[in-house]
Amino acid sequence: MLTLALDTATKVCTVALVRDGAILAEYDISVGLTHSEGLMPQIDQMFRRTGLAKEAVDRVAVSIGPGSFTGLRIGLAAAQAMAYAWDCGLCGVNTLDGLAWNVPVPGVVLAPVLDAQKGNVYTAFYEWEAGTPRRRTDVVMLSAGECMARLAALDRPVLLLGECERLLRRVAPAANVFVAAPQLRLPHAASVGLAGEGEDALTGAARFGLKPFYFRKSEAEELWDKKHPADA
Amino acid sequence: MRKKDIYILGIESSCDETAAAVVKNGRQVLSNIIASQIMVHRKFGGVVPEIASRKHVEQVLPVIDAALAQAGVALADIDAVAVTYGPGLVGALLVGLSAAKSLAWAAGKPLIGVNHLEGHVFANFLTDPDLEPPFLALVVSGGHTALLKVTGYNSFELLGQTRDDAAGEAFDKIARVMGMPYPGGPEIEKLARTGNSQAIEFPRAMLDNPYEFSFSGLKSAVINYLHNEEQADRPVHKADVAASFQEAVTDVLVQKSVAALEAAELKDIVLAGGVSANQVLQDKLAAAAHRVGARLVHPEKILCTDNAVMIACRGYYQFMDGEASGLDLNADPSLKLG
Ligand SMILES: [Zn+2]
Repeated sequence: MLTLALDTATKVCTVALVRDGAILAEYDISVGLTHSEGLMPQIDQMFRRTGLAKEAVDRVAVSIGPGSFTGLRIGLAAAQAMAYAWDCGLCGVNTLDGLAWNVPVPGVVLAPVLDAQKGNVYTAFYEWEAGTPRRRTDVVMLSAGECMARLAALDRPVLLLGECERLLRRVAPAANVFVAAPQLRLPHAASVGLAGEGEDALTGAARFGLKPFYFRKSEAEELWDKKHPADA
Repeated sequence: MRKKDIYILGIESSCDETAAAVVKNGRQVLSNIIASQIMVHRKFGGVVPEIASRKHVEQVLPVIDAALAQAGVALADIDAVAVTYGPGLVGALLVGLSAAKSLAWAAGKPLIGVNHLEGHVFANFLTDPDLEPPFLALVVSGGHTALLKVTGYNSFELLGQTRDDAAGEAFDKIARVMGMPYPGGPEIEKLARTGNSQAIEFPRAMLDNPYEFSFSGLKSAVINYLHNEEQADRPVHKADVAASFQEAVTDVLVQKSVAALEAAELKDIVLAGGVSANQVLQDKLAAAAHRVGARLVHPEKILCTDNAVMIACRGYYQFMDGEASGLDLNADPSLKLG
């Protein structure tokens, strides 16, 4: 089964081809280019270099968030359009799950974090077990301090992944918390592809129902709900 | 040998409508699908960009699928994918653009980036099969007011535009001040029908440049009028205000358009953009054009507001001219006319 994977949830634009647990190609750009300009040329170049036929893709796996709203929409709209054009499966992968796939190591807690603006992060804690990362908590939005406090309370070593520099700018790591090296903590589409291989793909009209995982309502709606508590 | 038919898939998501359409040979509408978000934004009094983007990403593929199905055309039979890349809300544009680029690449079709405003002008080709350049276009919408000389299917000359507010923007603002729901343009027009257009004398900015517009002075004058009447505790006849305001806007639009028509010695003038649906504007411009031996063409109602038919039509003429866009095409929220 050939999977085309993409992740545009953060500043990294990453695309990959994965087949039955093997990574055939991965192409990452992280120099602050817009995903709108970079995503499709990157995918196109990856197919040219591998010589694989795009029509051979069996499923498209896409990182659906949490993350940058605009980035998520660019990735999802592109993934949906490809799955539609090829009439193949579509798989939405939580961005935090994708990051946990970067480090297949049991015995440590993996804590991928993503910027949630205003000093907050999105996170969930994972542990590897029987060949997959198991999510031990819900996906939550926490202040930097609260996130670090929860990690410090764990009695095991913790590896921070994702946009951890955002977190570490506000709070020092606790004694049991280690920061993953850059090649492990950045989003990798290959991880999204590997995660996607294990899930059921959406087909037919169900593909249209896949939405970004925004985590929260738009600011305008949150404000409206606050002003009109009866309607919320 | 019989000439091959050309099928263009158009995609539009620049503001609060997600739309897709299939047009055959540039002028024959095979499908026109529009998912409108007007009701979603109404409670906020205007388009909320983040909400618009969220709705677009939910609608863009269903709308494309429906457009192909209604046209009875398979994706494989499409000759090119045309998509709006500006102007508009950047987050909204990016959804349609991303879907279009990906779809075009995945299906091995050329991609054609279309200027939304040129699309509005081209809506007239779908209403009038005999319309051909050269002609004059009056572009009037919530974001633009401009006089454009269409010298050929792919050549335009901007004669002048607004220095400040767009005509549609003034309509929306006045409507909001008078407590009417979004979008305000059609509400003002409805209310004005029962009012006296000569009741209040609002200013008409004519400016030195005969083809430039300014509506901020008029907008302030109406707001000041409403404010002064309220201060003096006099009851405001809102229908008269709406009618007098509409009269002032359309007077300026018509007068400048006719001057341009005469100077350029053109025989056709077309209306383009959301405000082109305004019946008073249509009637006054048609009569004034007739007096100078010219003819007004305006899009049918469904093609006045945002749609993808006009994008497919514009894309067709770019396609026939050998134009194509790269996969790195980005959204340009302030893309200009001409
Ligand atoms: Zn428009």
